[in-house]
Amino acid sequence: MKKKLLIIPFILFLSVLFTLFYLLIIDRNPSKLPSNLLDKKVPNFETKSLFKNENFISSNEFGNEIILVNFFATWCKPCRNEHVYIKRFSEEKGIRVVGINYKDDTNNTIEWLKNLGNPYSDIPIDKNGNIAIDWGVYGIPETFIVNSNSIIKYRHVGPITKEMYKKINSLIEAME
Amino acid sequence: MKKRIFIIIISVCLVLFSLNFSYAVEPEEVLENQKQETRARNISKNIRCMVCQNQSIDESNSPLAKDLRILIRSKIKEGDKDFEIYKFLTDRYGDFILLKPPLKSSTLALWFLPFVFFIIGILIVYSHNRKSKKN
Repeated sequence: MKKKLLIIPFILFLSVLFTLFYLLIIDRNPSKLPSNLLDKKVPNFETKSLFKNENFISSNEFGNEIILVNFFATWCKPCRNEHVYIKRFSEEKGIRVVGINYKDDTNNTIEWLKNLGNPYSDIPIDKNGNIAIDWGVYGIPETFIVNSNSIIKYRHVGPITKEMYKKINSLIEAME
Repeated sequence: MKKRIFIIIISVCLVLFSLNFSYAVEPEEVLENQKQETRARNISKNIRCMVCQNQSIDESNSPLAKDLRILIRSKIKEGDKDFEIYKFLTDRYGDFILLKPPLKSSTLALWFLPFVFFIIGILIVYSHNRKSKKN
């Protein structure tokens, strides 16, 4: 009888082990980056705007329409790759895109946008990376969908691909 | 003789592993106030580098880790308390940024299952010993 009882902890141990293993496979995707800002208000920030004489004040800009926020830099190769889709959001879909220029050289940015086209309605400058930290950014490019109530509804880490372009468009359509 | 050499190698390795040589803090980041710098180092050791993920920002050379180290130091200089700095970071990056998961209802199993297994182990050893003594 006692020998049979000794099996219980063993079974208990195995069941916990299988549960943890199952959770590891099913629930946790190591490549998925957790985001704490989803369904929260956009961070408040004020900074210089690239082509404008006045400062970009976030509280004045968000809250009227759906805005795509794209963190980019000229030194970032994937940013160049996704630029074609950022332009399509603005030119074909008429979505307002704010491009936060991350730790970049102003002259390089002006030249870069002259060559590739400027899809951004505003370009707040994040000289030291503090705005990116406020948005919980890991590394650029990153793109956020902010709804008309200034709430961050979606975050994409990495460059926008053809599939992502379609996905973001359908998300925005569903929000409208 | 061989045993002695083996013990020496193992001891040297243990000493080397126990010393924390690697840290990425650059000289210009270091605060003049030693107390504040120690606080910054202690916080940095508990903050995960979100780019490398298995290193703390104290050890990581990634640009984001550097930015976070500078930010922590500027917040300390501004007079923020440690818990305020942790809150600032977890508000933006979630609990994932902490290298030690906090004690919450969702992490209870993580914190207490090892103790449960330890107690089960002791009970098994105890019952086994009693049985062998009887025999």
